[in-house]
Amino acid sequence: MTTHPLHFHERVDTALHDGSLQTALGRATTRFITNRAGAIGALSDADTLRDQARAIRAGALSRLDELLERLAANVEARGGHVCWAADGEEARQYITRLARERGVQTIVKSKSMASEEIYLNEALEQAGLEVVETDLGEYIIQLSGETPSHIIAPAIHMTREQVSGLFSKHLGMPATDDIPTMTRTARQALRQRFLQAEMGISGVNFGVADEGAVVIVENEGNARLCTSVPRIHVAIMGIERIVERLDDLGVMLQVLARSATGQKLSVYTSLISGPARAGEADGAEEFHLVLLDNGRSQILGGPYAESLLCIRCGACLNACPVYQNIGGHAYGSVYPGPIGAVLTPLLQPDLPEGYMLPQASSLCGACQEVCPVRIAIPDMLLRLRADAVRAGKYHPAEKAAIQSYAIAMKNPALYRAGGTLARLGSRLLGRKGRIRRLPPPLHLWTKHRDFPQPGPQSFTEWWEARERRKA
Amino acid sequence: MSRDRILSSLRTSLASSRQWLAAEAARAPHDPPPHVMPPAADLAAQFADELRKLEGRAYLVADAEEAIETIGDLLAGRDASQAIAWDLEQIGLPGLEALLEARGVALLDPAENGVDRKHRLQRLEPARVCLSGVELAIAESASLVLRHGPGRPRLASLLAPVHIAVVRRGQLVRGLGEALATLRARYGAALFAETSNLTLITGPSRTADIEMTLSLGIHGPPEIHVILMDA
Repeated sequence: MTTHPLHFHERVDTALHDGSLQTALGRATTRFITNRAGAIGALSDADTLRDQARAIRAGALSRLDELLERLAANVEARGGHVCWAADGEEARQYITRLARERGVQTIVKSKSMASEEIYLNEALEQAGLEVVETDLGEYIIQLSGETPSHIIAPAIHMTREQVSGLFSKHLGMPATDDIPTMTRTARQALRQRFLQAEMGISGVNFGVADEGAVVIVENEGNARLCTSVPRIHVAIMGIERIVERLDDLGVMLQVLARSATGQKLSVYTSLISGPARAGEADGAEEFHLVLLDNGRSQILGGPYAESLLCIRCGACLNACPVYQNIGGHAYGSVYPGPIGAVLTPLLQPDLPEGYMLPQASSLCGACQEVCPVRIAIPDMLLRLRADAVRAGKYHPAEKAAIQSYAIAMKNPALYRAGGTLARLGSRLLGRKGRIRRLPPPLHLWTKHRDFPQPGPQSFTEWWEARERRKA
Repeated sequence: MSRDRILSSLRTSLASSRQWLAAEAARAPHDPPPHVMPPAADLAAQFADELRKLEGRAYLVADAEEAIETIGDLLAGRDASQAIAWDLEQIGLPGLEALLEARGVALLDPAENGVDRKHRLQRLEPARVCLSGVELAIAESASLVLRHGPGRPRLASLLAPVHIAVVRRGQLVRGLGEALATLRARYGAALFAETSNLTLITGPSRTADIEMTLSLGIHGPPEIHVILMDA
C-alpha cells in the first residue's frame, strides 16, 4: 500500500509552494484544454456525439450483468480465460499464481489505472517477479518510485531535468536536456525488456461484449508490444468498462481521444479477442481477462451509479481549477481530480482521508462541462460531502462555525450586526478591495488566496436606500 | 464463486438502477455517425492532409509501377537490408518482390507462434523497415485499419522504425463509423474467427510524457509512409 506521510492539507500546501510543479501543471493543463477544445469544436455535431456516448454507456450499464456474461462467454469461446475478481485481492492472487505456475520472471506492463487501484505491482514484486512499466510516463515514475499524478500523463509533474537525472542514474544516459535523446534511451532500454518478458499486462479501455474483444487505446505502441510479444497476455478490466457492439466504438473512441488529448483518434487502437489463432505469427498464446469488481457492482445500485459511466479520459482533471493548482499527488488517491474525488471514497473506502477529497472543489461545474459522457460530478461531490457529515467526518470547528452561522441567519438583528462588524473589521484589513490576511482561525483561508473586501454597505442597506429614493 | 457473487450483486443493484439507466440510454440513438467531421470532396487528399498533420507522409500514386518507384525511393538511404513484412501476396502489389530482391532487402521470417519464442522475436529486432497492406483507411483521421492474422503479423507494423503501408483508393472510407459498418458487412460475427487482432494506426508512435513535448517513435515506428494507389 502506498502511504502518504503528509495529511491532505499539508500535501496541498506542499504542492502550492512547489514552483516546478506549478510550472508543469500550468503548461500541461493549458495544453490539454486547448487541444480538447479544438478537437471537440471541429466536430460536425459534438453535442449529439456526447449525448450518444452517454446513452451507449448508460445502456451498457443497464444490462451490465448480461453483457459481462456475454463478454466472458465469447472470450472463452475463442480460447481465452476469464477471472471474475470480486476485489483486488482476488485479482492479485490470480495474476500472481498464474505468473508462478508459468515460470514467469519478467512482466511488461502497459498503462492500467485498474492495476494501480489494486496495487498490483507491489503484489507481483513481493512474489519475486520483475515488473516493468512501459508507458514512458509510467516508466519514469516507476524509476523515481512515485505514483501517477494524472490519468493520461502520469509524469506531468516532472521536469526534463528530473527525468534526465533519473535516466542517467538508472540507464547510464549521459546527462542531456534533449527530450528526443531521452525518448530514444527509453526505447532502447525497454525494447529488450519486451523481448525478454514472458507476460504482458494491460488495462482495458472498453470490453466489446458481442466480439469477446478488449479495446486498448494508446499513443506509444507499448501496449501493442505488451499484448503481442510476450507469450501470455493478462488484461485487467473494471467490470463497468463495457460496450455491447463493435459499432459502439464508432462513438466512444471518437469522444475518448478528443477529450483526453485532442486527437481525432489515439495513435494505436488495438482490439484483441482471445489468444493468437492457428497460423498467427505473433500475439499472446495465452489470453487472460480479469474482470475486476472491487466495489463497482455495489456502486451501481446507489446514488453514485452515474460515476460508472466514466471512460477515464482525464478531461475533468485538466478543466478543474483545483487540480490545476494542486496536481494529482495532493489528492493522495489513485484517481485524482474531480472524478477521483467521487471515485475514491467509493472505490477506496479504507483510505482515511478519502472523505476530504469532495471538499477539494469549488463546485464551479467545469468538470461536468467537459465530460464526454456528461457526468454530473458537482452534484455527486455535494452528496458525498453530505454523506461525510452524516458519518460524523468533519472538523469540530467547522460544525461550530456552521452552527453560529445558522443562529445568525435565523435572527435578522444578529445577522445585520455581524455584517456591520465584518465590514468595519475589513476596512482595517483591506487594501484595494482585497484582504491579504484574515485573523485566526480564518487566516488559513487567506494563506493561498486573497479574500474580497466586503462592500461599504450591506445589500439590505443598499436596497432600503434605493426604495427610499424611489419613494 | 466470485462470478456468481458479482453477478448477483449486479442484479441486486440493477433492480434499483436499471430504470433510470435505461431511460438515459433511450435519450440518444446509439448507431455511430458514418463520419464526424464535415465531409471532404477528395478522400485521398483528405487522408494525406490529415496524415501530414500527424508527421506521417502519404504518397498519392497512379498505379503499381509508381508505387514500386516510391517504395524504392523510401528504401534507399534507410539501410533497409532487413525488413519484416506481411506475406507479399497479402499486400498484393505487383513488382514488390522483385524490388526487394533488387535492393537486397531480406524479409525476416516471423515464423509461427510456438517454441523458442524469445529467440525468434529477437531475430526480428534488427529489421529497419515494416511492410504491410491494410484492410481499410479512414480519411478524416488518417487512420489505417489493419486486420492482422495468418500471413499478416502485427509486428510488421510495429517493430521496425519505418512503416510502409500500401493502400488502394477503394479501401478509403470517410470516418470510423463507416469503417466499422464496412467491417461488419464484410465479416459479420466472424470478424475475430480466424484472427485475434484488429488495429487502428493513426500516425507515428508518439509521446508527450516529458514536459508535454512531442517526441516520435517511443515504441512503435517514428516514421509512417502510406502509399495511396489509384489503381
